[in-house]
Amino acid sequence: MKPAMLVDTTRCRGCEACVLACQEANGLPRDDGAERLSATTWTVVEEHGGVHVKRQCMHCLDPACVSVCPVGALQKTPEGPVVYEESRCMGCRYCMVACPFSVPRYEWDSTAPRVQKCILCYHERVSAGEQPACAEVCPTGALTFGDRDELIDEAARRIEAEPERYVDHLYGLEEAGGTSVLYLSSVPFEELGLPTVHKGDPYPRLTWDVLSKLPNVVGVAGVLLLGVWWVTGRRDVLARVRGGELTMEEAMKLRPPLAEPDPASGRAANDDGSVLR
Amino acid sequence: MKNRALQYGLQTLRGRLTPWKMLFLAILSTGLYATFLRFTQGLGAATNLSDAFPWGLWIGFDVLVGVGLAAGGFVVAATVHVFRMEKYEPIARPAVLTAFLGYVLVIVALLFDLGRPWRIWHPMVMWNTHSVMFEVAWCVTLYTMVLALEFSPLVLERFHLHRPLRIVRRMFVPLVIAGVLLSTLHQSSLGTLYLIAPDKLHGLWYTPLLPVFFFISAVGAGLAMTIFESFMSQRAFGKRLEADLLQGLGKVIVVVLAVYATWRLLDLGSRGGLGLIFTLAPESVLFWGEIGLGVLLPMGLLALPAARRSESGLFFGALLTVMGFIVNRLNVAITGMAASSGVLYVPSVLEFAVTLSIVALGFTLFALAVKHLPVFPREELAALRRAGQPALAGGRPAVNRPVLLGLWGLLVLGLVAVGSSLGEGDAQGSGPREARAAASVPSAPVALRLPAPYAFPTGEESPGPVTFSHADHVDAAAPRCASCHVDRFRLDAPGALLEGAWTFERIHMGELCAGCHDGEQAFDVLEDCSLCHLEP
Repeated sequence: MKPAMLVDTTRCRGCEACVLACQEANGLPRDDGAERLSATTWTVVEEHGGVHVKRQCMHCLDPACVSVCPVGALQKTPEGPVVYEESRCMGCRYCMVACPFSVPRYEWDSTAPRVQKCILCYHERVSAGEQPACAEVCPTGALTFGDRDELIDEAARRIEAEPERYVDHLYGLEEAGGTSVLYLSSVPFEELGLPTVHKGDPYPRLTWDVLSKLPNVVGVAGVLLLGVWWVTGRRDVLARVRGGELTMEEAMKLRPPLAEPDPASGRAANDDGSVLR
Repeated sequence: MKNRALQYGLQTLRGRLTPWKMLFLAILSTGLYATFLRFTQGLGAATNLSDAFPWGLWIGFDVLVGVGLAAGGFVVAATVHVFRMEKYEPIARPAVLTAFLGYVLVIVALLFDLGRPWRIWHPMVMWNTHSVMFEVAWCVTLYTMVLALEFSPLVLERFHLHRPLRIVRRMFVPLVIAGVLLSTLHQSSLGTLYLIAPDKLHGLWYTPLLPVFFFISAVGAGLAMTIFESFMSQRAFGKRLEADLLQGLGKVIVVVLAVYATWRLLDLGSRGGLGLIFTLAPESVLFWGEIGLGVLLPMGLLALPAARRSESGLFFGALLTVMGFIVNRLNVAITGMAASSGVLYVPSVLEFAVTLSIVALGFTLFALAVKHLPVFPREELAALRRAGQPALAGGRPAVNRPVLLGLWGLLVLGLVAVGSSLGEGDAQGSGPREARAAASVPSAPVALRLPAPYAFPTGEESPGPVTFSHADHVDAAAPRCASCHVDRFRLDAPGALLEGAWTFERIHMGELCAGCHDGEQAFDVLEDCSLCHLEP
């Protein structure tokens, strides 16, 4: 099973029980009035024109944050949640730049700051087969935790049963290559503050397409540079032969000088330290 | 002894306290204060960075610009040692010195910007080969080592350490080639960093070709910086200007900028972005500032043999190229990200102070190196020594004043245009966003079905049964469920609304009904029993 969460915004009343449950479950300070995500509010219920939208980490199937983290502090667990290992993080904040949903938050006022975000209650609950605290407390059925494929079917059933109630789109099905948090809505998703992101290919492809070519670049450029260096060296030696400075036999014994020209004489020191004349 | 030293110090201070030195001291002291604040209170106290804008001036200028301007080091080194155009030898050492100092200062800046700078070594042992940042970290580390070795002959010669000098000389060409490869990788990878943010970076700058453009523009800017730095050395140390060499570099810059400008415009056209240039927006103004003033103008200037041969033409061609490069990197890192972030990031005074302090540190270190190490060719230093005094007055470039004024005027005009357009952008930016939010009236949210009235269990001495009605207690449009649920009445365990038993004390004196019905938030629960307990 691939754990996922379906957020049916048409069922959400904005009671914020999920917000408080999250704070309690993750040992975060209680904050009733949180309006947006912060380092101490990992989930929040935003209101957009009367519609309540629970926001949290989307737990992408192929997360940009995980791919960009230079030290592997963000990891996609085998079960699915994207978790953060504080002891590796050096605080470059590339994850915050890379996340298409702008979810990760930073402890700006700390001298040993951490990146903070929803980890889908991985350590305490989901890895033990339980559901996350937010899904458990939701009194209205707006949050459903379960297998991603089953939730996709469930969403399709709901849209089919009440087409006048839902926009015919499941946000997260293809967004950013697919996410573990899926949204149903009665209004277009861009009106809910959910970003319009690329669909289909996951984000890490954008950088991997370039990174994977680099070994070839190094190989080709390296050979090219060595070739240029060898040719220019040969050219200089041959010019000297033509000028009568060297005989061909002498020239054949010379290897192209592997040395910085000596600023004193303006001549290059040869391998054995002798100076070419 | 101590007194004399103090006296001497005061004398030199008093003797040389020029306005420039005062500015320098002001920057440095603000920088020190910023450093103190940054490392005792955190990034939030010293910077205007936020969750919506996590990378600011220190990444945009100190890192992206710093690395790019140091590109002269690998380009000139390759020209001299791989292409063996040995006439460029006299500018190789200053270029390598600039590059080495540049990279050291980039690392200093990173120590400010990283949230946990003491872990800067983590990418060396904790690998993620899919991360561009990981690749940049490795390349910058290795290239800084390469530069240290390329720079080392200056120190080794100075202290007559012949044996290590010979070892370094012998590995010099492989070092230069490794340097070129590492530079190619990370100069381009700084652009690759932004490929992961297609929705955040403005369409005038986001392109799959970002790595290519970052590399080409760094080559141009690195060469321009080498010219600029030669002029600076001439002013500061009275060094002879290698006019023919610098003109040669000027020609190369023309080619590089022409390739760059053509390719960028073609790429923009192929992605249907040409329309973006001609719509009046802060971004298009900045784009014109960058491409018009910072690429096309210097390209045209340096393409004219007359301008290239005049010192002021060469100087301004190089300066404009460097400025255009700086604007490009700041556009990618800061202004191009502004619209999508939804906030207006303006670096704090303390961020500027740190950046300027680092730049000042760079100039100081360069001057120290020139003074104590064989940076410039020997015969020239000998000539300087013979002359006794640096030929400051005689070495000044013969600047054509009208040209100079005109160019500075253009620069100021460009800056004013950019500044005012940014201000406008801010005013406009918030407008449509709010308007759209207000206009988005949802298609009738489904009405809240409140739970049915709930009859509390009745005790033996109760004056009558109590039935709780949600309809009387909450506004269905804005129910604020959590004010009672979770804390007083749980919802997470079906059937177990309350932990423990319903007791008179908990209801009337404790946290249940009396929690709100205390005479202040709502009527007192003990005021009148019949308000809740209805006759059976």
